[in-house]
Amino acid sequence: MSPFEQINAERLEFSYEDRTIFTDLTFSIGKNQSVLLLGPSGSGKSTLAFCLNRLYPEAVDGVLKGSISFGGHKLEAFKAGELNQKIGIVFQDPESQFCMLTVEEEVAFGLENFHIPRAQMESKIDRALELVGLEAEKKTTIHTLSGGQKQKLALACVLALEPEVIILDEPTANLDPLSSSELVETIAGIKKERPFTLIVIEHKLDDWVELIDTCLVLDSNGSLLFDGPPAQCFGEFAPFLKKEGIWLPKVVEAALTAKSAGMYRGERLPLLKSELLAGLAQPFDFSKKVSKTLANKEPILEVKGLHARGHLKNINLTIHKGEQVALVGSNGAGKTTLSKCLAGLIPVTQGDIQFLAAPLSKWKEKDLFQLLGYVFQNPEHQFITDSVFEEIAFGLKDRAAAFSILEKIGLENHANAHPFALSQGQKRRLSVATMLVHEQELLILDEPTFGQDANTAHEIMEILEGKSGAVMMITHDMELVDQYVDTVHVLDAGELIFSGTPESLWENEEIVNQARLQPPFRKQLQNEFVRREIHVAT
Amino acid sequence: MSLHEVNPSIKAFAVVISILILSLFFDPITPLVTITWAISITFIFGRISFKKWILLFAPFLFIAIIYVWSTMLFPRLQEGHTVLWQWGFLTLTAEGFQRGVSLGLRVLSFATLSIMFALTTKPTDFLLSLMQQCKMPPKLAYGIMAGYRFLPLIKEEFQTLQNAHRVRGVARARTIPEKVQQLKRYVIPLLAGAIRKAERTALAMESKGFTGEKNRIFYREITVSRIDWLFFILMISAVILSAFISWKLGYLQFYNREL
Amino acid sequence: MLAKWKLREVIVLSVLAVVFAVVYLLFLQLGTVLFGLFGLIGYDIIFGIWFIVSIIAAYIIRKPGAAFLSETVAATVEVMLGNAVGPQLIVSGMIQGLGAEAVFAATKWKNYSTWVLMAAGMGSSVFSFVWGFYVSGFAALSPGYVTAMFFVRLVSGALLAGLLGKYLSEGLAKTGALSSFPLGKEHKRNVTV
Repeated sequence: MSPFEQINAERLEFSYEDRTIFTDLTFSIGKNQSVLLLGPSGSGKSTLAFCLNRLYPEAVDGVLKGSISFGGHKLEAFKAGELNQKIGIVFQDPESQFCMLTVEEEVAFGLENFHIPRAQMESKIDRALELVGLEAEKKTTIHTLSGGQKQKLALACVLALEPEVIILDEPTANLDPLSSSELVETIAGIKKERPFTLIVIEHKLDDWVELIDTCLVLDSNGSLLFDGPPAQCFGEFAPFLKKEGIWLPKVVEAALTAKSAGMYRGERLPLLKSELLAGLAQPFDFSKKVSKTLANKEPILEVKGLHARGHLKNINLTIHKGEQVALVGSNGAGKTTLSKCLAGLIPVTQGDIQFLAAPLSKWKEKDLFQLLGYVFQNPEHQFITDSVFEEIAFGLKDRAAAFSILEKIGLENHANAHPFALSQGQKRRLSVATMLVHEQELLILDEPTFGQDANTAHEIMEILEGKSGAVMMITHDMELVDQYVDTVHVLDAGELIFSGTPESLWENEEIVNQARLQPPFRKQLQNEFVRREIHVAT
Repeated sequence: MSLHEVNPSIKAFAVVISILILSLFFDPITPLVTITWAISITFIFGRISFKKWILLFAPFLFIAIIYVWSTMLFPRLQEGHTVLWQWGFLTLTAEGFQRGVSLGLRVLSFATLSIMFALTTKPTDFLLSLMQQCKMPPKLAYGIMAGYRFLPLIKEEFQTLQNAHRVRGVARARTIPEKVQQLKRYVIPLLAGAIRKAERTALAMESKGFTGEKNRIFYREITVSRIDWLFFILMISAVILSAFISWKLGYLQFYNREL
Repeated sequence: MLAKWKLREVIVLSVLAVVFAVVYLLFLQLGTVLFGLFGLIGYDIIFGIWFIVSIIAAYIIRKPGAAFLSETVAATVEVMLGNAVGPQLIVSGMIQGLGAEAVFAATKWKNYSTWVLMAAGMGSSVFSFVWGFYVSGFAALSPGYVTAMFFVRLVSGALLAGLLGKYLSEGLAKTGALSSFPLGKEHKRNVTV
């Protein structure tokens, strides 16, 4: 056993409720390494992480075979709770990690658990908050923080205990792209200032690739597929990863696409954008744009001078028959408020909304929601029956048609299951499908692909493709906007600052920066290329 | 000296004991004096907005009136009561009327004491005090805290559910079976989500080293001082004094006289 | 007693209380109407809903103390919410919880059939009535009226706490959210059989 290895795992096997999650895992992690733990959904990554600091098997009545040692000592040798100080975890859901009401109290909670003398507590709290940039929020109520700030707080709570290892379990899964990259930056900064061993479980790899020095890959059966440097992992191993359904960094994906088109002349697959660009013969268009020409210019929803909730100011927009629309903007810009106004769910203080040439306020709810649908962000909030079949059949005149719809969304085998028992992706598909049973003129979707992997996102877009009516999506996903949308409306601080095609939006750097949007990858590459050309030329 | 600074546990005990003592008496004067006393303390030492107070108090006026007329119409009849009016099995007596007013005032006295507590005590302080003074196990107290934290989130989810029900056309429920279905449609998604959040939160708390052990150094200490005990004695004495005043005025009625 | 309880079970009790606190508000109007129409006895008609939390908690978690702890936790949460119910609610909550707990204790915490659940609801009704008799001064009311209130409360406890509690718990079990709790495990066994 190498003296450098901080964590050693030998022949680990974990099972619970008659399922074996992973088996025969042997690996080591050295002090202050940065490890990326990869694997398809269900491969047991989180389970493995929780076994490393002994949260499992107790928490779920599971059975762990094999041995794990930390710093040379077997995990069993540590006292209850002792290991939690040395190995900290930041979890996925910003909403369910805390137990106190304010930031200060939450950080203090961890310190109290380890009998830190009261005199030392305040300085430790301040130091931890400083590291993550939350000093100003010390007395703030946690509920009022943004998702990104909450994750930073979770990190601060861990840092206050001065751990040697920090595990991050999909910390950006529920964050928008901007907060995600901020969080990664924060962690990179902290690691430089105050070294620790980092273990990250992530799907969204792009921000992390530069920080990582080791990749541990699990396959769908829970066996160890790969243990080595990222260049090798995403280089030679990329096809294996793809086969397992593991995401690759966008840069690698792009290079693979370019390679198959014969456009990539680099020797190995790149990890960084700069490497990718160096290996490209010429600007390569990566887009798979699925554009629809706007067939019908007839307006179905017209909004004039809308003011609402003291937040939205003077909104004017029109949605046309069959149009694919996106509503984008940073958090707090008012996207959800606007969409609820358009659906008639919340009242407006001023202004005029006409749906199908009649004022929205005059529509009877029963009739309105036959022609206007709304899909909520959390699919569970929408289910009103006990079975998948009933969800689709509800409100359908011809109940037999429900089955064909189930087939279309791939849920025919789950017809009798309870909607809540489905996987996240299945729930999403079901919630979208329940709205599709009526031929609506307008379907509004609130973040339909949020927190989803790329496959589910495209599945949902495919389901919507077949739909004849107009669709309006609230989204952070600019790739989606780039590929599928006809018109994009940009909101910032309650005002509509842009309405036009996606292409014209990407050209408008000022608006993109004002609304804090990240242009799609192909556009980023194009911009980089242009910049390099200019640089090379000068 | 403000009510906000009085030790929450002692404040709570003062209220509870006061209520237990007040329940002994069936006359209108005892609760009336208590009400005056409680309201005065609340506003002099409490620094509360009148608007908030009235908002909390108003519903109790309604409840008090119900107590009054229920007792008036269905009084416990005893020999020597003056009958004012009779109709079928309903009998209205002067004593019944007085009992009614007494019970109504009792409800209001409880309300004023409760509001005094509610408006001058912070939830976190209360839990900390329960742990530090009443020796409540941390596993219980922090467990309560963790669940309590979800209130704003659950309220938001409730509103989203209301909207979603409108969109799917199930917002109206008229008959009893429909109302039960509607209850189910709210409670089950809220509970399913809440239980999952509870499990994740427990895991997160344990990952920060929480074991529920009682030996704990608190970041914030809730103190007990002589002033707190003075407050307690003052409150209890005030209630006893109210009864005394009632006796002096000849109104006092004891519980055991009733049975 | 608490040593046998896992932290996540305690938090479940707490969120149960918070969910019902929010839901209670929705049904408060109904209570006020009944109260206005029938007087004090109107309140007894819906009284059972206050103990539904103890039945659901006991049915789901099935540990000794579930009914008692859940009512204590629910009452503490109500007080923390700042409703003008006062700290005495914690006392009344404990007493109601004990009433249900007594029934489960009598079955050695092994029987959770419908009858037991309804009986537990009635147990809460009985204990809470004794407390209410003292604190609300029922002695001033005619014995006939008081007896009527008692029986209405008994029925309410059996139906609104026992039966409705069972119904909601089983609906919850179907969602799969209870897979790590005894009720969820029982549900799975019954379904696969």
